[in-house]
Amino acid sequence: MSRLSQKQYEWRVLAAMSLYMLCMLLEWPLVRTATSVSVKCLLALVPVIPMVYVIALLARRIRASDELEQQTHLIALGMATAVVGALSLIGGFLSIAKVLVLDGSILIWVFPGLMFSYGTARWWVARRYGGNMFCEGDSALAKYLRFILAGSVLLLVGWLTRSSLDALRLGFFCGAGASLVALGLVLAIAQHRRRNADE
Amino acid sequence: MNNLIRELRSERGWSQAELAQQLDVSRQTVNAIETGKYDPSLPLAFKIARLFGMPIEMIFVPEEE
Repeated sequence: MSRLSQKQYEWRVLAAMSLYMLCMLLEWPLVRTATSVSVKCLLALVPVIPMVYVIALLARRIRASDELEQQTHLIALGMATAVVGALSLIGGFLSIAKVLVLDGSILIWVFPGLMFSYGTARWWVARRYGGNMFCEGDSALAKYLRFILAGSVLLLVGWLTRSSLDALRLGFFCGAGASLVALGLVLAIAQHRRRNADE
Repeated sequence: MNNLIRELRSERGWSQAELAQQLDVSRQTVNAIETGKYDPSLPLAFKIARLFGMPIEMIFVPEEE
C-alpha cells in the first residue's frame, strides 16, 4: 500500500470532514421529521460514512508508517484509549450514582474525544523524539490556518444553527470558535515575526 | 547509542530528506536517529550500514557506562 504524503492525507481528511459537516447541517435535521424507522435510521447513520473513511485513512497511514512513526502512533493510541476509557468509567459510575445525568447521546463524544486525546498524545510523544508530528513544510495547511479554519467552521455552525441551539451550546460554538480563531491569529503573528527575524 | 550517521550523510552531501527517501523512512526518523533520540531496529540499522557500505558496528557505537 502506497504511503500518503502529509498533504494528501490532510486534504482527504479535510474533504471528509467537510462532507461530514454538510451532512450534519443539511441532512441530519431531516431525522427529526422522518416518520419511518428505517428512513430515520438511514438518515441518522449517513454522517458515519465520512467518519468511517477518516478511520480508514488513519489505519492506512499507520500501516504505511515507518518504525518510529508506528511507535509514536501506538503510544499515542494507547494513551488516548486510557484517557477515554478512564473518563467513560468515571462518567458511568457518576451516572449510576445519580450524581451526573447522562443520556445515550454522550456516546457521540467518544470518537472526537479519542481523536483529540490521540492528537495531543502524538504531539507530545513526537516532541520527545525531537520533532513535530510531521516535517515542517510537508503540511497542506500552516498550523495557524488550521486553527483559523477550525474556529471559523465552529462559528459558522453556531451561526447557521443558532435558532435550534440552547444558550449553552450556542455559547460553546461561539466561545470555542472565537478562541480557535484568536489562537490562529496569535500563531500567525508569531510566525510572521519569526520570519522577519530570520531575514 | 551514538552513531556517525550525520557525519556520513554530510560527507556524501545528502540532506536528511534524501537519506530518508533512500531508507524508506520519514525525515523525522532520520533526525531522531542522528540526534540519538531513537535507536533504529536491527533491520533498519543493517539497511543504513548497507547504504553507507560500512559494518554496522562502525556506524553505531554503544554509549560507555
